[in-house]
Amino acid sequence: MRPFEYLRPTTLAEATDVLAEHGDDALVIAGGTAAVVMMTLGVLRPGTVVDVGRVPELGGSRADGGVLRLGALTTIRSIERDPAIAQTYGLLAEAASQVANVRVRNRATVGGSVCYGEPQTDMPPALIAMGASATLVSSSSTRTVPLADFFEGPYETALEPGELLSEITVPQPEPGSEPGAGTGGCHMKFTIGSPENKPVANASVLVRLDGAGRCVEARIVLGALGPVPVVAVDAAALLDGEVPDAKLIAEVASRAGDAADPADDLRGPVWYKRRIARVLVERALRCALRKAGHEVP
Amino acid sequence: MPTLEAAEKVTGATRYVGDLLVPNMAHAKVLRSPLPHARVLSIDAAEARAAPGVVCVLTRDEVRAAGIEPVYGFVYRDAPLVALDKVRYQGDIVAVVVAEDAAAAEAAAELIEVDYEELPAVMDVEAALADGAPLVHESFSPIAPELRPIEGTNVCHRAHIARGDVEAGFREAYRVYEDTFTAPPVQHCALDLHACIASIEDGAITVWTNCQSPFPLQRELQRIFKMDARVIVPYVGGGFGSKSRDRLECVVTAAAQLAGRPVRLVLTQEETFQTFIRPAYHGTIKTGVRADGTIVARHVRFTIDVGGYAISGARSANNTLKVATGPYRIPNVLVECDAVYTNKPPSAPYRGLPTTQHTMAYETQLDRIARDLGIDPVELRMRNLVVDGDVHITGDLLRSTHAKECLEAAAAGIDWGTPSTPPETPSKLRGKGVSCTIKYTLTPPTRMSENGAAISLGEDGIFEVRIGTVNIGQGSDTTMAQFAADGLGVGLERIRVVHSDTALVPVDSSTTASRSTYHMGNAVLDAASKLTAETLAVASHLLERDAGDLALGPDGVEAPDGPTLAYDELVRRSGGPLSALGECVVGGTYTAPDGTEYPIASTFWSFASAAAEVEVDTDTGEVRVLRMGAASNVGKAVNPDSVRTQLEGGLGMELGPTLFERLVWDEGGQLLTAALMDYPLPTMETSPTYRPEIVEHPFEGGPFGAKGMGEIGSVITPAAVLNAVYDATGVMFHEVPLLPHKVLEALEAL
Ligand SMILES: Cc1cc2nc3c(=O)[nH]c(=O)nc-3n(C[C@H](O)[C@H](O)[C@H](O)COP(=O)(O)OP(=O)(O)OC[C@H]3O[C@@H](n4cnc5c(N)ncnc54)[C@H](O)[C@@H]3O)c2cc1C
Repeated sequence: MRPFEYLRPTTLAEATDVLAEHGDDALVIAGGTAAVVMMTLGVLRPGTVVDVGRVPELGGSRADGGVLRLGALTTIRSIERDPAIAQTYGLLAEAASQVANVRVRNRATVGGSVCYGEPQTDMPPALIAMGASATLVSSSSTRTVPLADFFEGPYETALEPGELLSEITVPQPEPGSEPGAGTGGCHMKFTIGSPENKPVANASVLVRLDGAGRCVEARIVLGALGPVPVVAVDAAALLDGEVPDAKLIAEVASRAGDAADPADDLRGPVWYKRRIARVLVERALRCALRKAGHEVP
Repeated sequence: MPTLEAAEKVTGATRYVGDLLVPNMAHAKVLRSPLPHARVLSIDAAEARAAPGVVCVLTRDEVRAAGIEPVYGFVYRDAPLVALDKVRYQGDIVAVVVAEDAAAAEAAAELIEVDYEELPAVMDVEAALADGAPLVHESFSPIAPELRPIEGTNVCHRAHIARGDVEAGFREAYRVYEDTFTAPPVQHCALDLHACIASIEDGAITVWTNCQSPFPLQRELQRIFKMDARVIVPYVGGGFGSKSRDRLECVVTAAAQLAGRPVRLVLTQEETFQTFIRPAYHGTIKTGVRADGTIVARHVRFTIDVGGYAISGARSANNTLKVATGPYRIPNVLVECDAVYTNKPPSAPYRGLPTTQHTMAYETQLDRIARDLGIDPVELRMRNLVVDGDVHITGDLLRSTHAKECLEAAAAGIDWGTPSTPPETPSKLRGKGVSCTIKYTLTPPTRMSENGAAISLGEDGIFEVRIGTVNIGQGSDTTMAQFAADGLGVGLERIRVVHSDTALVPVDSSTTASRSTYHMGNAVLDAASKLTAETLAVASHLLERDAGDLALGPDGVEAPDGPTLAYDELVRRSGGPLSALGECVVGGTYTAPDGTEYPIASTFWSFASAAAEVEVDTDTGEVRVLRMGAASNVGKAVNPDSVRTQLEGGLGMELGPTLFERLVWDEGGQLLTAALMDYPLPTMETSPTYRPEIVEHPFEGGPFGAKGMGEIGSVITPAAVLNAVYDATGVMFHEVPLLPHKVLEALEAL
């Protein structure tokens, strides 16, 4: 690892000032689980490391007014364990529980997990499926970007030099409007070997049903199957207004597989990744439907 | 019993080489070749030498100027300390930068300018054997006498072994089967990364390293630097063969000589991938059987990819000729091998390699034969396994085999014979498989002792056992302490073990090839018996009693009726410590009770079996191993806990290369699986439940009847898993790892 200057600001203003001053040469670290590995491998070679772990404005999480606000420093582990999140934002908790291993989850932050921009990670598909947005602040501006538009390529995001992600907001899923109806979410991944390895693919599915078991809303987001998370809009649209059965589920899964844009790599050839996308969507959709109160035989 | 050092290890108190500090020590980083094969035209290190904190830079120019031997190697002397004329793999060492700290050395290494003339590379054996293939080495320099290079090719060793007439055997066979198996390279991924500190003081070298062969290294240092050398090996946090031979020690010593102060080098995990790897294997096996399944002939041809330097790999190929046809009674056998240079990193043994791959080949093929002939796989093996009194391919008379009992015990571990419980969904399939193996140990061509052990009784009344065996996590200190305590007739609390410091312990050839329990154990017992005699003689004199009336007791020498002479007092009164040197003589020939003489190609032969139950997901191609049984005839389990965990460790580790581990290079010779991020390893999540069983039939000549078993768990794993997958799916795989996409592809081709 190359020698670097280490700064640890204690307020948001100080952090953004430091970033404005150092520009491209500065690297933000939060949990450091990704950043330090990249530095050790020589992939990132910053002159200045800005550790934002002590910036109070970036911490804390709360749910109010139908919105969940996750401070950038919220750890993946606390998302996994928070009963309030599990109750209302179950898909997030489920995705969080599948990140790496408990050691990584204890340190990794939600801000880091999206700013990393790694196509194989679990949180981005789940957050996109839930309609989350990121708040980005710099010394001169604040803006909000839907996470669906945040990712621009592998390790590339909408963050500009000098910008910090301060918070992620997640709207509360609308409960079903009629008795017996409900919302269900499911995150699944397929990894070769141990769960903390980079997955072949992952998938987040969120469905909302009415009292008659008809699907009134569905979102399917795939990870590791393209340079950025893939939102399978056409596949999800097949569910609109339908009471899903096995045949429809298979069709949706197949359409989602077509939407994937995977690359041939160490984790498998393109045909295989599409196949896995289909298997995961089929399994995750069945699981989400079950949670929403509709078991498909 | 837990190992003596268990508490120290789990509390983090153990110090490994990477934890050691030497006063005035400088730090090294290595500049590595970016190309797999190139001529080194020029090296300009001026800017690096002038960089902040830099002490010196070692390149070929400094090596030549120092007048030291520029090339090292244990079985082949073909590895330059730093690149001389050429680089032979991506990651080959070009220069060593020494600085006040590792970061300064790393930064300065980037300032070195190297001009290369790229040469065509041979990235695998097929390319290396092709007509007109570029030569990795223009000439050969074998050291081990048994190595036979083929001039003008990349073959650094060609050999064969035969018994009977294999062609005649095939002619008389009812059916003949031929299959080709392959396995890619993997890396050992020991937790303890290669590390070394070298210091030269008063014209003598001291090296601290985690190498498994301290004495051969000592001789190599003496040869290269023409000075006395001492090698100290503290506890080693795993090696699995990656540290079986020296690799960095001579390089770091050259750097220390140039720096004029101690130098430390600790590799990164990524660099270990460029240091020693398990070679690629390619083997074709042809087997002829009678209608009842009796094997009548077997012909095995295999290649080993030794990489850019044959410092170790050429010998692995040769050693396993004698086990490539398996633990079976076969009248007609022929085994041929080529060890081939390529532009990959140099290869090293890996927990029994390539016996593991041979076992994969002959055992997987055997299940195909079983299915074809309609014979139960266990039954087919029972009909062919060797028994005591059979003569092996080498002419050795086999003793203490009990291969059938191993197979029965392993198979029972997964309830062989009862169908698997049905999986939760019909898209999953379950199946069971078994495997059997035979393994050799390193054995000298003539009768000799390759290791000693010393025991002394000091003024503190403690028996100090001094052994060259490297404690690499296998529990050797504990086993040797047990031998000493039993041999002397004292408690373990009276024993202290001093290990692997060439200045303090008698010579030992290496801690490899499952050899220590047998060889060092015998030497310790020999020393214990000699020291007992000496102690009793001294006590007899002091107590004025007949030595025959005295015995060693827990706290001192005891006379039947009289007082005990405490050990510390005995030493004080005798005027100084008592000590004895033991040895273990092996090799030569074996004379059977009927007077017939047999050669000894292996001092002992180890036998083991594994059984695996797997579940295959036909949607994803994923294979999960649910449970594994295993059994080995260890002669005598000196420490049953160590035997079981050693077996289990071998099974679990080998599941990685069986299911998903592999090193991959692109066409340009660049390693793609360059970091653990892209190189999955087995973890608790991929581990099945294990049933390791001990089979005990004392081996004549072994210490208390014990023989080696260090590597055997690993050896039996791939075949058992492949056979279980075959049972579950009907697909017989000819390669590992069982990557899910390949499994799915094969299932769909059914
Ligand atoms: C062994 C291992 C296994 C893993 N397995 C998984 C897995 O199974 N699933 C999965 O999803 N992920 C996995 N990961 C990746 C993991 O999710 C990320 O490492 C983690 O989420 C990053 O969070 P962090 O807080 O540690 O970020 P850091 O490492 O501190 O930073 C990551 C990146 O984000 C930037 N950054 C961080 N915070 C901010 C901020 N507030 N504003 C602007 N930029 C910021 C940094 O500059 C850096 O580029 C694994 C990682 C490891 C080491």
